[in-house]
Amino acid sequence: MPVPRLGHANLGLGVGLRSVHFDYILKNRPEVDWFEIISENFVDSQGRPRYVLQQIAERYPVVMHGVSLSIGSTDPLDIEYLKKLKRLAGEVGAKWISDHLCWTGVLGRNTHDLLPVPFTEQTLRHVTERVRVVQDVLERPFVLENPSSYITFQDSTMDEWEFITRLAEEADCGLLLDVNNVYVSSFNHDMDPDAFIRSLPHERIVQFHLAGHTDYTTHLIDTHDHHVIDPVWDLYRTAHQLTGGVSTLLEWDANIPPFPVVHGEVLKAKRFMEDHLPEPEPAAREDDLEVFAAAGPTVFHPLHHIRPEVE
Amino acid sequence: MKGEPRSLDVVQRWFQAVVTHPEGIQRGAASPEAQELIRLNRGELEAVVRRSRNLTAAERLSIYANAYYARLLECLGACYPVLKQAVGGEVFDSFAFEYLQRYPSRSYTLDRLGESFARFLDETRPDREAGGGVDWPDFLIDLATFEWTIAKVFDGPGVEGQSLLTPEALQAVPPERFAELRLVPVICLRLLTFRYPVNAYYTAARHAAEGEEVPIPEPAAEHAAVLRRDFVVRRYPLNPAQLALLGKIQAGATVGEAIVAAAATSDLDDDALAAELRTWFRFWSAEGFFQGIAAG
Repeated sequence: MPVPRLGHANLGLGVGLRSVHFDYILKNRPEVDWFEIISENFVDSQGRPRYVLQQIAERYPVVMHGVSLSIGSTDPLDIEYLKKLKRLAGEVGAKWISDHLCWTGVLGRNTHDLLPVPFTEQTLRHVTERVRVVQDVLERPFVLENPSSYITFQDSTMDEWEFITRLAEEADCGLLLDVNNVYVSSFNHDMDPDAFIRSLPHERIVQFHLAGHTDYTTHLIDTHDHHVIDPVWDLYRTAHQLTGGVSTLLEWDANIPPFPVVHGEVLKAKRFMEDHLPEPEPAAREDDLEVFAAAGPTVFHPLHHIRPEVE
Repeated sequence: MKGEPRSLDVVQRWFQAVVTHPEGIQRGAASPEAQELIRLNRGELEAVVRRSRNLTAAERLSIYANAYYARLLECLGACYPVLKQAVGGEVFDSFAFEYLQRYPSRSYTLDRLGESFARFLDETRPDREAGGGVDWPDFLIDLATFEWTIAKVFDGPGVEGQSLLTPEALQAVPPERFAELRLVPVICLRLLTFRYPVNAYYTAARHAAEGEEVPIPEPAAEHAAVLRRDFVVRRYPLNPAQLALLGKIQAGATVGEAIVAAAATSDLDDDALAAELRTWFRFWSAEGFFQGIAAG
């Protein structure tokens, strides 16, 4: 019987490291419990991003979060990429490495999107085998996240939570439960998000993600450009109770506000960790977002282009 | 569910063909590539993708199709901000859209998405088939090359934290030995030659107010050096003699051989050139152009 969080530490309340906050973090050394990095933004860097990361890793616990592993693809795994992840993880002392239960492309192409897999026995065998290979190569805890999705396949023979549960148990890996993604996918696929979360193997959940999304009325899109909404906080409360508490990370990837606003957002999680605390204030306040509002719709892309500094 | 599920490979190749099709998901599903994998008549997408309470299968697939192009166009625009500013967002996006058909990403990193953009602009220049006579594509190609170089220098190998050749160390070399020296340029030094003054244009565009139009310059040869110091990319205009000099040094020639090459491209007499050379070497060594002096 696995122990809670598979024995990994509860790092507390962390923030996704974004290049727009580099200067603020180095200058102010904010009291953040930990940082999560987007692995692909750093694995090849030989310039300032890598230098900044080294300094942050000296001061804060770091977790690596990837978007290009493509664990569900029928293309071969990119072993060179995995070796780069492993090398970077060694350099920054990453507590664990995560990526998504998805595929990003086939026939050598990368769409740079987190594409959904059909939940079938064949997919389960395929992904399970690949998770084992990844774990063997990385020699570091590996954790898989449930992505937001916008379609489901006719071929699927099981629910997403059943697939995730069987995968985690058969491949013996950890889970990164993205609470916002549960909410987004459940809305898009007419599922019950509460049942989704209650059906998972809670002792395998090593980390939570929180983020905002965009409501297009007929569907939700995982844009990471807003505050976390109240129904997602409610799910978080449930997930916290079911797991006993795990490392929690806020992602904010578009219309990114100043660092204290992002940090303040994840600190709201404290209100949902104790039942006896009063009901939280409404989480989303439009006036907070005024200065960061985008002119048009946001397209979520997890890989940030880091703007060169040029004289 | 009816019958056996399709193989994962078939589903993924079909899905990719549909959502990346440049004319949308209906055309994508009707394309020979998709039809060969999953034969569907129009309106049969729900044989593969379930509808939701609110959206049809086609509407749901379109979310992925729209996001694919929107995301990658935005990324290309971020790689080439000055080029995008120069031609306008609409024209840039039309180039980028075609580029993605020809050079779809094949890397785990979006940092390489734009690596063939200058080549693409050259391959598709409008005068290529019409018999010449149009030279404005050179401006776009040069500007794309310049912006790509800046991005690579910014995040490529550098010399931060390493000791470099100082003006004092260079000055301490006995004059009679100077010509025999082989200077080692820093690894991040790039020497560039353009048909349009894109370095000057880049500066003007960066200083322009938001919405201010920066006129596209007339063709004129321009040389520049680009390097990184303290994690910031630095740009230096070069005259032809300076380019010849640094080019030879970068190729491994002695300072004496490099000076001969510079003299051949300069109108200055020997004394004037000698005075200039002292100024140039002092400036370049102060700016971190050289790692050191090659041994032996």
